[in-house]
Amino acid sequence: MLKVIGGFVAGVVVVGVLAYSLMSSLMFREVPSPFGVEETVARIQQNIQNVGNGWALSGLRNPGKAVEAAGGNTLPVMMIEACSTKYSAPILQDDDVRFLSILMPCKVSVYKKNDGKTYIGLMNAGLMGKMFGPKVGEIMGHVAEDQAKFIQFDASKPAPEMIKGTPGATGGGSGASAAGGC
Amino acid sequence: MLPIYRTVLSALAVFAMLTASAFAAQAKPEAAPAAPSASKKVSTADHHKFKELQKNFRTGPEVTAACLICHTEAAKQVQHTKHWTWESTDPKTGQKRGKKNIINNYCTNPTSNEKDCMACHAGYGWKDSSFDFKVEKNVDCLVCHDTTGTYRKLPGDAGHPVYKRTEFPKGSGKIVEAVDLRKVAQSIGKPGRTNCGACHFFGGGANGAKHGDLSSSLQHPSRYLDVHMDEKGLNFSCATCHSTSSHQVSGSRYNISAAVKGAPHIRGKADDSPAACQSCHGNKPHPQRMARLNQHTDKIACQTCHIPEFARDDIGTERSWDWSTATTMGPDGKPMVRKDSAGRRAFDSKKGTWVWESYVIPEYRWFNGQSRFQVIGDKIDPTKVVKINEVGGGPNDPESRIWPTNVHRGKQPYDKVNLTLTLQHTGGEDDTALWHNYDWQKAIKAGMKAGGLPYSGEYGFVETEQTWPITHMVAPKDDALRCEQCHSKNGRLKDIQGVYLPSRDGNKVLDTLGWTLALLTLIGVLVHGGIRILTAKKEG
Amino acid sequence: MTVEKIYVFKRFERFWHWSQALLIIFMMITGFEVHGSYELFGFGKAVSLHTVAAWSLISLWVFAIFWHFTTGEWKQYIPTREKVFAMIGFYSVGIFRGAPHPFRPTTLKKHNPLQRLAYLGVLLFIGPLLWFTGWFYLFFGDWKAWGVDSYLSLEWVAFFHTAGAFMMLAFFIAHVYLTTTGHTPTSHIKAMITGWEEVD
Repeated sequence: MLKVIGGFVAGVVVVGVLAYSLMSSLMFREVPSPFGVEETVARIQQNIQNVGNGWALSGLRNPGKAVEAAGGNTLPVMMIEACSTKYSAPILQDDDVRFLSILMPCKVSVYKKNDGKTYIGLMNAGLMGKMFGPKVGEIMGHVAEDQAKFIQFDASKPAPEMIKGTPGATGGGSGASAAGGC
Repeated sequence: MLPIYRTVLSALAVFAMLTASAFAAQAKPEAAPAAPSASKKVSTADHHKFKELQKNFRTGPEVTAACLICHTEAAKQVQHTKHWTWESTDPKTGQKRGKKNIINNYCTNPTSNEKDCMACHAGYGWKDSSFDFKVEKNVDCLVCHDTTGTYRKLPGDAGHPVYKRTEFPKGSGKIVEAVDLRKVAQSIGKPGRTNCGACHFFGGGANGAKHGDLSSSLQHPSRYLDVHMDEKGLNFSCATCHSTSSHQVSGSRYNISAAVKGAPHIRGKADDSPAACQSCHGNKPHPQRMARLNQHTDKIACQTCHIPEFARDDIGTERSWDWSTATTMGPDGKPMVRKDSAGRRAFDSKKGTWVWESYVIPEYRWFNGQSRFQVIGDKIDPTKVVKINEVGGGPNDPESRIWPTNVHRGKQPYDKVNLTLTLQHTGGEDDTALWHNYDWQKAIKAGMKAGGLPYSGEYGFVETEQTWPITHMVAPKDDALRCEQCHSKNGRLKDIQGVYLPSRDGNKVLDTLGWTLALLTLIGVLVHGGIRILTAKKEG
Repeated sequence: MTVEKIYVFKRFERFWHWSQALLIIFMMITGFEVHGSYELFGFGKAVSLHTVAAWSLISLWVFAIFWHFTTGEWKQYIPTREKVFAMIGFYSVGIFRGAPHPFRPTTLKKHNPLQRLAYLGVLLFIGPLLWFTGWFYLFFGDWKAWGVDSYLSLEWVAFFHTAGAFMMLAFFIAHVYLTTTGHTPTSHIKAMITGWEEVD
């Protein structure tokens, strides 16, 4: 009997350790980009604008600039923010899952590493969505499909211009500056 | 009672706000001019008061003539510098280098393009090979000593400033005002970042293009970008390090002090390398608790750790310039210009294709300060990448250190029969100018003729590579490379040969033997123990 | 069989053994990281920790050497041919048959003949190899000042230092196992903790 319980406990521990170590790679994805940082950003931005389903850019953030303003150095990091009201509306309208607004807007991160190469960081929206019931799971499934299209590049097309800043942002009081996208 | 109290209170509040804003309004104009006037008072001479300068100068040489009335030796001094001669001699090999003689990886060489290139010559009138280097009034004092920031020299004028209101570039609708030479001459001072930067920030024809560690971002840098030039901190000017005597500016790239030894140097003493890091910091700059880092200084240049990346701004720097695509026209058959995603030049039918990058991770090389340059007429091997310059030194040379470098790659035209890089006539409005007529053959013919070089009539394009050491944009100490960025299998120095780097290197045979020994020992004791357990059970 | 207890390890000896054991384990962990076998503390941190541990071990050894010579305990490591083959026989055959241990430790002879040989090897070969190469490794920056830079190369200093480390690792594995071969599996370990060894 002791052996059975012991075996069970050991199994649980092994699964737990495995899940813990795999968690980050399940929740997030990192893919290398064939382009430089700026061109990767610009191409993703273009893809977002072309993918349809209500997707719109809601901003381009550079958290590295804050580090630089504080006197420190960091390799470039650019965060592309995008949103689709088609997907955000049902979540934002439902009290039970409105807290998922914390995941909005949808973010794609583009950054350089010490090997000099550019990488794209993405959230695994499909898997994440499955944790919050069938409704959210289905919506996030669509988001994941579109997200995959964000990073499909056609190298034969010339590099588009990077769209800086937050479209529609006007500054001012709370809410006013959050006009862009969603 | 209560309403009256309230009224008084709000009246007081309004009064307080009014006075506060009045004070604020007063305070502003007072604070602003304090800094510039203080810096002007440093000089004992006010050039506004000199009657020699109180006239309406028509040309640059007229101003120089006025300067030389008092500064009698200034022009002679300048005429001995690279800023004037565009020439430098290697003290060891005697090779003649300098912009006049070398072919660089950007605009290649000024020969036959002097009218354009000499916008960055510290002189007036170098429009072709007939330029007389002995005429003192042709020295341009103002380009280095103007403090107004209004003195401008444009390509096409052979080094003369803008005398007439001009549209530049032609057809752009942008207007450059004529320089008020009287005002500029009266407002001269020590060279600042603007003066040096006017040429050195924009080398290669675009902001940041050439050096990678020099761009207009150093005009008002913050601490992260350059800990010495930080405008709110040490606020060094270029000349703080590039200390100058008799107009000789120290710290030329042509003769780098790659391995300065000993303690910090004393200012005022004769110094071979006043512009090196060690001149102020010595070669044991780290505190005792970091003594191990001081042991690195006989193998590694300061710059290697303290400039973790260069072009650390959105301006970026050029990584390559491919001339072979020049003269390619747009779909409509007309010259075309294209920009990259960050708005930097990416293609121009006149000049070819460029690739840019910001926050560039350097390539590391052994370097002893000696570079061999490709000069006009040198033979090349077109089957290999042509080294525009080769950095000297190696792991066994005690004068060599591992340096961060900016390796700039490209493609340039060459003479397929004579096996030399070619000179080409690019700028100008004439029939042979590449940027006017888009005809390589004519441009090369004219260029080679101006340079006095034979040309077979057959040209091709060859891959080129230029390696320049990086030394500006020193990061704050907290951002220096961490140990493991080099001491690891795939670290920054993974391609550096000739030095044992713990953690990166090791003897593979020894490792295999060692781990095998450990494993066999482990297996041995496990088997031994296993048999003991088994035999003990049988007996039990 | 009556169990008898004899006092084999004195207080200093036990302190020396365990602190040395901890330091050596720690130096193996940090050392192999410096060598590049894995990442744990980070290279810089590993170097600092390895260096601190090295200096601690040197201090410990200064005391230990002093202690061994003043107490005459150094004689414990003099090799003897007596019963060497009996020991080999015991480890390879007798131990599985429950044969009695051919060596009976006393306060004057606390190590069995194979132990003497092994420890002497550690003390006279692996130890000095590590110390000597480690010293030059540590003071790499002073080679020029010492005038030895033309005779040494870091590559070979590191090679022999690493070789010593591998031998130490193998010794460590065997040593830990052999502590279980006493009267009972734990009697040797108990002796090293309390000083008293259970013997048959």
